[in-house]
Amino acid sequence: MEARDLQLKDITVGDTSSFERTISEGDIAAFAEISGDYNPLHMDAKYAAQTSFGRPVVHGMFLGALCSSFVGMYLPGKRCLYMSQSLQFKKPVYAGDTVIVTGTVRSKSVATRVLSISISIRRDEEEVAVGEAQVQVLENQ
Amino acid sequence: MDTDAHMKTFDDIVYEIFNVPQSEVRDDMSIKDIPEWDSMNYLLFIAKLEEVFSFSFDMDEIMNAKTLGELRVITEAHQK
Repeated sequence: MEARDLQLKDITVGDTSSFERTISEGDIAAFAEISGDYNPLHMDAKYAAQTSFGRPVVHGMFLGALCSSFVGMYLPGKRCLYMSQSLQFKKPVYAGDTVIVTGTVRSKSVATRVLSISISIRRDEEEVAVGEAQVQVLENQ
Repeated sequence: MDTDAHMKTFDDIVYEIFNVPQSEVRDDMSIKDIPEWDSMNYLLFIAKLEEVFSFSFDMDEIMNAKTLGELRVITEAHQK
């Protein structure tokens, strides 16, 4: 899959994009290996069953990684320089869940080439995480 | 805009981006006085001012401003 190649002039406030991702147990295991977060709430079904969640929970920062995918691949895509990201986890997400990541451009600074993008991650009608990204749209080389 | 954008002040944004408490903000502060004033945070600061106060800096203003006070004056001028 290739990243979109939007230039600053192509982007206006209100522009939106989204993608869907089904999260597997393999994703959780891979994220644990990459991040080093083997917390049993994510990795140990027996342990997780004893908590209020009942089963292993997807790492919150896996959803953060989906935000990275959003800005790096969809909006603005190829020219993205990721500058900051806020993120609030609102509901637990589990293996097998399908989430939709949607981002909307809230502001565009022409002078700094910085976009502010609100990102909402939903499972069906339920918002499971919400955040805001600031990205710079790099100029042509 | 932030849902609370209309509530934010210049000094709120100084705190949000540069982590300088409002009680310590001075208009003569510059990159020399604020450890978190680096090139990336400066861009975020400018972009946040534009977002919250609904105006656009021009390139000369961004390049020439050296202190918080100068940026405050430019921001206020764009509000008139």
